Amino acid sequence: MSVLSVSGLVAGYSAADEILKQVGFELQAGEIACIIGPNGAGKSTLLKAIAGLVKSSKGSVVLNGEPINGRAPREITRLGLAYVPQEHNVFPSMTIVENLEMGGYVEPGRIAARMDNVMQRFPVLQRKRSQAARTLSGGERQILAMGMALMVEPKVLLLDEPSAGLSPVAAHRLFEDIRAINREGVAIALVEQNASDALDISDRAYILVDGRNHRTGIASDIANDAEIRRVFLGG
Amino acid sequence: MENYLIAMCVTAGVYALMALGMNIIWGMAGLINLGLVGFFAVGAYTSALLTVKLGFPIVVGVIAGGITAALVGVVVSLVTARLRGDYLAIVTLGFAETIRVFATNEIWLTNGSDGISGIPGPFRGDLTPVQFNSLYLAIMVAVVTIAFVLVERLSYSPFGRVLRAIRDDEQVAAVAGKQVLLYKVQAFALGSVALGVAGALYAHYTSYIAPDIFVPLLTLYIKLALLAGGVGNSKGAVLGAVVVVFFLESTRFIVPLIPYISPVQGAALRELIVSVSLLVILRFRARGLLPEARSHLVVPAALPAPARG
Amino acid sequence: MSPFLAEFLQLILNGVMAGTILAVPAIGLTAMFAVLRFPNFALASHATAGAFAGYVANVTFGLPLIPSLFFAFLVAGALGIASDEIVLKPFRAMGAITTAIGSIALTIAIENLVRFFFANELRGYDLPIARDWIFGGVRVGPQQMQNLAVSVVVMALVFAFLTFTRMGKAMRAVADNPALADIKGINADTVARIVSFGGMGLAGLGGMLIGLDTSIDPLTGFRSMMSIFAAAVVGGLGSIPGAVVGALVIGIGEELCLLVLSPSYRSAVGFLAILLVLVLRPRGILGQRAY
Repeated sequence: MSVLSVSGLVAGYSAADEILKQVGFELQAGEIACIIGPNGAGKSTLLKAIAGLVKSSKGSVVLNGEPINGRAPREITRLGLAYVPQEHNVFPSMTIVENLEMGGYVEPGRIAARMDNVMQRFPVLQRKRSQAARTLSGGERQILAMGMALMVEPKVLLLDEPSAGLSPVAAHRLFEDIRAINREGVAIALVEQNASDALDISDRAYILVDGRNHRTGIASDIANDAEIRRVFLGG
Repeated sequence: MENYLIAMCVTAGVYALMALGMNIIWGMAGLINLGLVGFFAVGAYTSALLTVKLGFPIVVGVIAGGITAALVGVVVSLVTARLRGDYLAIVTLGFAETIRVFATNEIWLTNGSDGISGIPGPFRGDLTPVQFNSLYLAIMVAVVTIAFVLVERLSYSPFGRVLRAIRDDEQVAAVAGKQVLLYKVQAFALGSVALGVAGALYAHYTSYIAPDIFVPLLTLYIKLALLAGGVGNSKGAVLGAVVVVFFLESTRFIVPLIPYISPVQGAALRELIVSVSLLVILRFRARGLLPEARSHLVVPAALPAPARG
Repeated sequence: MSPFLAEFLQLILNGVMAGTILAVPAIGLTAMFAVLRFPNFALASHATAGAFAGYVANVTFGLPLIPSLFFAFLVAGALGIASDEIVLKPFRAMGAITTAIGSIALTIAIENLVRFFFANELRGYDLPIARDWIFGGVRVGPQQMQNLAVSVVVMALVFAFLTFTRMGKAMRAVADNPALADIKGINADTVARIVSFGGMGLAGLGGMLIGLDTSIDPLTGFRSMMSIFAAAVVGGLGSIPGAVVGALVIGIGEELCLLVLSPSYRSAVGFLAILLVLVLRPRGILGQRAY
């Protein structure tokens, strides 16, 4: 069953500058789908359009059977979709605890219990709970950003280049965490530059080129496709 | 009545000159200046002091007023060159207020809040008021015309194009090898000349200046003139100045029609009407009721909010 | 104690007193800047409106000082919401500078509204006359001490609000990262209203506190505006602890400058402080916004 279904989506920052020219995307319950492709293909824009941050001019976005295009980002959050931006994804001057509280802002009654869960999952957040987010390392910041997203117990999690700027070790650990979150039943859509790592943990892959779907398939098939390896995975 | 109309036109000329100056600084170079009344005051005081206290001819005073304002403009623009727009707003407004505080306190120089009176006007003693006003209007028209032609030339010169390039995208202009700071300072200085000369001409016309004249409201009048003029060029600036003066003067006639208010209340009501009108025009005009080519925007109303990274 | 030392201590003490009072409107200004992202010059007239509201409560209705101060806060805060909703909010979409210009026009409008009803004459509050306390040549007025206490309590309340309440934290979140706050479901309009109420309320309270020492007239707020802006800019525009530090720096700085300058140069001192800070350390003392 698909929890998130995007079809014929056209979107961009202005009518003259459409980044997504025609994109379809399906996310099944419990799976990880990655979106890869060259720079400027519209990968991040696709996530932003789903999350309500970029207005779409055509096409539809359906979350759990409910159309969500045109809704405000906060309403979409309330419907169980959490989006983690690539950058500026924490509140730098606030402490980790406060950041998590803001993550769960729409459901104030559940903050305490969920924060315990998030802290258990990510001990580093527990250790640094009273520190300002700006003091965290890049990897820790990504973890905090994911933790904030988990504060709404989302059914769908959108991650925009979570491994950007991380060391290989930190990136590896982060992918482990993403897989663990997924195993608990959260469907995840992942945009990545780091295509081979992303394909490793994904069930399904979408390749976008110039705002359109280029290829779609099972992640392992894509990873093993000779032509795709040559063009997108650098060998 | 005739004399009154002539007087209004002279005031309109002063405002037009200021609007032209503001057009260079703000419209062409995109430098925010909420303190233009400060440069106007510098020009007015310089010329008044030179002619009243040192007995220089009026022409010398006016030219010195323009030059002094330009020098102050150079200093202000150098100090503020790197500041972001919202800080520039604070600093330029603060600059104008500081000039006013200085004029109020340095009594030995400026007579403080009593102001300087008896500032000479050309042939004031030999002419009837109507003749004097007419002569002054002729001078005003000549000066505004000269300024107008110069600003127009400037606007279409390579210098003007570079200024607009800087305004629209500082980084591109910098990469293209134009010395951004130098251009900004020059634009600020040139605009300040117009403001300073306007101040000097104002002083010699009214024969009296005091710190109370140089309030932020005057800066808003000029902003209003540029908005009312609409089209983002020098013609709009001049036209807008005329419209603003007629509007301001008309409030003089409306207020006495309201019964049972004291003179203070009348004055308050006038400023209230003026400021509310400004808000209304700013709100509905700044968005561009008359859309204009990007390269001709007088006031960068579409200036982006401070970057949020 | 030597007379010179006593005079110096007196100036420092006066500066701390003045700075603490100045911190109240400066916090309001910096909080509004952090959330709404434009320099709100309408602060001046809201300070005046608060001072006059307090005057009406205190002199016309004979209320004691503390309830009058509270009334000043409420009236200026309510006016702040109204001005933001009706006048400034539409400007915000047009950029910070247009909004700043609108706020100057607004401040002139409100100031003249006050002038229309109260005219230009100086008015004083109805305060119990008390004798100054003298400690080793340093003079302290009981009224000053009370103002100091009020300012400190208000600051403590502001900090508590921002640290412990849901709305306070939401406000800091919007100041930190408005786009993310929106994603997380924080309603920017509600936050804008609360910060306009609180910020302008503090301006009004500050206006009355400033007026308690001397007298009030329609220009009360405008005369203090440069000092308030200086406090906020020196401390780092957008930083609330910065506003407190900045206010103390400006308060003490202004007093020390009285050694060589006449008191009416107060606002010029503020302006020079702004210039100095912007040239030397553009982020201000405690400014930490990287963006």
